[in-house]
Amino acid sequence: MKVSSIKAGRYSKRSPLADVGAFLLVIAVLTWITGTGTAKLGYNWQWYRVPQYILTHEDGRWLAGPLIDGLMVTFEITGVSLVLAFSFGLISALCRLSDSYLARMVARVYLELIRNTPLLVQLFFIYFVMAPIFDLSRFASAVLALSLFEGAYASEIFRAGIVSIHKGQWEAAHSLGLSSFDTYRRIILPQAIRRILPPLTSQAISLVKDSALVSTIAVYDLTMRGREIISETFLAFEIWFTIAAIYLLVTVSLSIVVSMMERRLGETG
Amino acid sequence: MDKTVPGEEIIVVDNVFKTFPGGVCALSDFSIRVCRKEVLVVIGPSGSGKSTFLRCLNGLEEVDRGSIVIDGIPLDEDKKNRLEIRKEVGMVFQSFNLFPHLTVLENLNLAQILVRKKTRKEAVEFSMALLHKVGIPEKANIFPNHLSGGQQQRVAIARALAMMPKVMLFDEATSALDPEMTGEVLAVMKQLAREGMTMVVVTHEMGFAREVSDRMVFMEGGRIIEEGPTEQFFTTPKEERTRLFLSQVL
Repeated sequence: MKVSSIKAGRYSKRSPLADVGAFLLVIAVLTWITGTGTAKLGYNWQWYRVPQYILTHEDGRWLAGPLIDGLMVTFEITGVSLVLAFSFGLISALCRLSDSYLARMVARVYLELIRNTPLLVQLFFIYFVMAPIFDLSRFASAVLALSLFEGAYASEIFRAGIVSIHKGQWEAAHSLGLSSFDTYRRIILPQAIRRILPPLTSQAISLVKDSALVSTIAVYDLTMRGREIISETFLAFEIWFTIAAIYLLVTVSLSIVVSMMERRLGETG
Repeated sequence: MDKTVPGEEIIVVDNVFKTFPGGVCALSDFSIRVCRKEVLVVIGPSGSGKSTFLRCLNGLEEVDRGSIVIDGIPLDEDKKNRLEIRKEVGMVFQSFNLFPHLTVLENLNLAQILVRKKTRKEAVEFSMALLHKVGIPEKANIFPNHLSGGQQQRVAIARALAMMPKVMLFDEATSALDPEMTGEVLAVMKQLAREGMTMVVVTHEMGFAREVSDRMVFMEGGRIIEEGPTEQFFTTPKEERTRLFLSQVL
């Protein structure tokens, strides 16, 4: 509430028409760039062929096209990976903050190894090297690779959030006889998570986009479906742009949901 | 120095040494005893080690050497003992340290439910009684940030009392407060003292110390310079250093 009032104050002197004008100008420029760019490309645009791959209408019923099927797989992968990534992140953050040298070391190695190598290589390593040993499916390999990768980044976010909580909170909890576990669970993490919601959201958005890489191990997600369609129809630009728009829609919705959550949490704190 | 009957002592501190990283000596061969129902006030210049002494009593700081026994439980490496002592020792901080994401009532309930294993209903009942006692039952469902400093500190006292501690430690509980709010917090502390709570209080409020305490301790450089019954301490201090300090703060 405070934030919005500050914003209103800062912008109140400017007419909203100026903002609308600026927005239209940006759109016009973008359209012109795209228009001249594609004209020079000499590409034959066939947008009318795209909708059938999203939704089809048959016998009075709507049927999901391959892109929507792919989107569902993307949702599944990112949903499971998100939960796992945040678990890995939280656990390794707690390890790094623990008194045990071994735990700190293990967490550190995990972090450095994952953050300093490409996700694509990790995905291949898990799918081609680890999967045969542990009998992992393609879906499981994809989820494992994504959640290990994003978990390493989430770990640093969690750690930053935890150490940002004032030392007095620990002391108050300890002086009441709370165990470290209860202190984390009831005092430190609830406060830390409020603070790290924005960077965690960015991480979730990265996860959604990075999930496109699983198409390289033939998981039939949104990207894989798109590649399949392109190889049959040669509608490269139309399909890729459509896929990009679908990812955009998902990530923007995610951002909006989180900022609504933030506002609700902000009211109590 | 030790004129109490054995068995009455609830806090026994013997030859404690504490040095902070960087070589600052906070406690040096520090020994003291506190009896049940006694109110001990510790004064001294800043950096004299009085807060460190208080924080050692419930294990927020670990001592380098020496022993601390509270209500028969030694404060040592054993984590169980430390938790046991923390249950029996309540602490009030200068900066309140209320949990900002919980309402006043939840602040009070939390440890009762998690540590004392009370049911929610029992906890709420006791919490409300404590809020009545500190004079702000109407704030039960408010978040701490919406309270004044004096109200927050009274909630913090109630939160410590919710554990039904045998000893209460006050670490400059009024130092962060405006003068007009200091009074309302001191009033709660006076009431506790009258009810027979064992209290160890670090404070700069000399009027309060003189009125409430049974015994005074003057510290400097991690050592006790002088200790004695309150009236005698204020009227006829033995040490020159104590006299000088008192003349500056009174």
